[in-house]
Amino acid sequence: MTIDDPRMTTPPVVPALQLDHVSRWYGNVVAVNDVSFALGPGVTGLLGPNGAGKSTLLHLMAGLLRPSAGQVLVRGRSAWRDPAIYADIGLVPEKEAVHPYLSGYEFALLNAQLHGVAEPAAAAVRAIETVDLADAAHRPTGTYSKGMRQRAKIAGALVHDPTVLLLDEPFNGMDPRQRLHMMDLLRSMAAAGRTILFSSHILEEVERLADSILVVHAGRLAAAGDYRSIRRLMTDRPHTFTVRSSDDRRLATALIADPAVFGAELADGRLSVSTSDYAAFTHILPRVAAASGISLHEVAPTNDSLESVFSYLVSR
Amino acid sequence: MNQAGVSGPGGNIYDLGYQSYGGPRLGRRAASGALFRTALRACYGIGRGGRAKIVPIALGVLVLLPAIVAIGISALAAQAPGGGGAFLEEASPVRFSTYQGLILILVMLFAAAQGPELFGRDQRYGVLPLYFSRVLTRTDYALAKTGGLWVALLLLMLVPQLLLLIGRIFVAPDPLTGFQREIGTVPQFLAQSVLAAGLLGSLTALVASNTPRRAYATAIIIALFIIPPMVVGLIGNLVGQDPARLLVLFSPGDILDGTNAWIYGSIPDSPIVASLDLPGPVYLAAAVVGITGATVLTVRRYLTIRV
Amino acid sequence: MNVFGPLVSVTLRGVLGRRRLLLMLLLVALPVAIGLLVRLAGGRPDAGVILDNLVVRMVLPLVALVLGTAALGSEIDDGTVVYLLVKPIARRWIILATALVASGVTAVLVVPSAVLTGLLTAGIGSASLTTTFAFAVACLLGGIAYSSAFLALSTVTSRALVIGLVYTLIWEGIVAGLLEGTRFLSIRQATLGVAAALGGKRPGSEPLEPAISFVILAVVTVGALVIATRQLARFEVRGGD
Repeated sequence: MTIDDPRMTTPPVVPALQLDHVSRWYGNVVAVNDVSFALGPGVTGLLGPNGAGKSTLLHLMAGLLRPSAGQVLVRGRSAWRDPAIYADIGLVPEKEAVHPYLSGYEFALLNAQLHGVAEPAAAAVRAIETVDLADAAHRPTGTYSKGMRQRAKIAGALVHDPTVLLLDEPFNGMDPRQRLHMMDLLRSMAAAGRTILFSSHILEEVERLADSILVVHAGRLAAAGDYRSIRRLMTDRPHTFTVRSSDDRRLATALIADPAVFGAELADGRLSVSTSDYAAFTHILPRVAAASGISLHEVAPTNDSLESVFSYLVSR
Repeated sequence: MNQAGVSGPGGNIYDLGYQSYGGPRLGRRAASGALFRTALRACYGIGRGGRAKIVPIALGVLVLLPAIVAIGISALAAQAPGGGGAFLEEASPVRFSTYQGLILILVMLFAAAQGPELFGRDQRYGVLPLYFSRVLTRTDYALAKTGGLWVALLLLMLVPQLLLLIGRIFVAPDPLTGFQREIGTVPQFLAQSVLAAGLLGSLTALVASNTPRRAYATAIIIALFIIPPMVVGLIGNLVGQDPARLLVLFSPGDILDGTNAWIYGSIPDSPIVASLDLPGPVYLAAAVVGITGATVLTVRRYLTIRV
Repeated sequence: MNVFGPLVSVTLRGVLGRRRLLLMLLLVALPVAIGLLVRLAGGRPDAGVILDNLVVRMVLPLVALVLGTAALGSEIDDGTVVYLLVKPIARRWIILATALVASGVTAVLVVPSAVLTGLLTAGIGSASLTTTFAFAVACLLGGIAYSSAFLALSTVTSRALVIGLVYTLIWEGIVAGLLEGTRFLSIRQATLGVAAALGGKRPGSEPLEPAISFVILAVVTVGALVIATRQLARFEVRGGD
């Protein structure tokens, strides 16, 4: 190897979070079934219907459950029975309540102190302000609304500046303004290089916030990655496009001749074209249109949304 | 009041045939009765899973044991020649007058185990608004549940004693003489069982309705029966009879001991109660006051609870 | 070890909930009230009787049970223990902090009660003072053993309170009292043995030898803390999605 070889200068990157053939069962019930993935900086959305195993996965990643098979690695170290990993991780659980007799500020302070943060009081105040809870910070959390409790939990998880943040249904109970604020916060944290994983069963949230997604269904990982790329990979499901042109009928005839197109339909004054090969179609359409002297006014993919991806994945 | 089959330019509402109920509704009494029956069934784990039946069945078997043993002894005694039979009979520790002393702790454990489930569950899961927004009043709710517990405890005490009765009737030389001999005991064990069920039940209801956390309620109920007799014994021995006479009226276990002794004209089980020698009706009054007081406080708890 | 302070503080706040505190105060006031009553009635019994029967047999185990199971158990029950666990703290510090709170509050409640009861019933004669002092120390050590044992129990099962009750009432109350050979399996007997070693016992009773008593209490305490630490290190969150 020469000095310019990239293998010399870039050290192998240990993923912030890695699951390696992880399964978890309770007697006969398999909650997580052979899941493997690796997470790096950015926001990843863990998407799945209720009962799919999202909370179980998050608890496994946080070292609160022992994997029945496989291993969970945080920066290369096993997450189970290793308290040292928590210096880097922040967890926002969904079901667990906060000590009701502590105020929001006291809860954040407790977390700061237990993490051994250098100036716990200042860190707690910062965290409370970051989640916009300063007004109610001195009331006991037992008197909080659900959204406020969520924010208190998030403050507690942020107080030690973790590089990995795991959030279980964090937007549950938040009003739209709080949700936008929280999404901005998470995006900025991810941009600063942190690894953020949040779970949700609401597609719009994931679509808006996540850079990449993990889709789980009945304990199995159905898909991973950017959702548009996932869509490309679903070749057994044809893509449909809606095309408006100067002469739809002639265009339809011309397109049908090409083997990549397997359906063209004229309905409601529009042309719908089905193709199994997305990439090929993007070349064919302009060529055919130009050859026939037809001008294209509008080309739009019609079933490319996360919703259609998701519904396809969980119905297989 | 539903909109059926409306359509307009922009959308449609379809008639799904959804109807509100217009028929006769069974009022308060039926609702209370249903709640009472549910409570009674819940005490015995009927309609619940297997785990809920363990305690009732185990304790149910245990309370029957003395009766079965007694019948066995009586049967042997009846067959034994001459005076031996009568001797065996007399020596049997299991009679109606001693039955309560034998099984009271079991009945108390039953109440301590089932009572908190009965009253605490609804509070813990926050379903009280579902009950209170119906025809059923809060008082009805409290009384129906307490009544269910009373009857459950009563059954627990009566069934073995009835068994004993039947056994003794048939073990006698002929059923008719047996019947005549034993019939006098029926009002006795009936009365004592009613008092015991009432006192145990209402105290359990009071504690359980005020302590939704099941383990604490169980502990407090058990403590309520075990600690006072010890205290009374200590005071009686160390201080004097008079303060002990006052304190014994606050000890449920001793109250029932006293009423039992009065009803059967026998000596109380606890030596301290025997030595205090209070007249029977005093214990009866204490029991009645205890039952009504505890029930009133239980109702009050549900009248003032915030849901 | 500056995480110890916050751990102790949050556990203390959790344990001293209003209702629980009230109940415990009532319980420890009972022997004092009886002592007062005895004194007012002019009786002068042996302090050993009351202190043995009421304090060691009833009040001490019950207070230690409630506090020992609540210290960590209440947080395990409602799930808030998660916030203590996702911290880079060795599990033994968490156990030590909660055990300190449980035994500390037990001691603060029970020892003064024992002392007051002893002074009230038996007065300030030197023999009575010895008895009172002996029982007070025994309650301190016994309280530590009891609350540690119940703390460990709460990490093993969610029904710790009931099982602890069964242990106190049935095992210690009946079985270990009847069967001579099992006396060393009873924290109560060990506590009484410690009291006897220091000069206080109920007349007519035959407590365990001093050496065995101290050893039993020590073994129970250390063993319980080890078990609890092990359990907490393997703690798993309940339920699924």
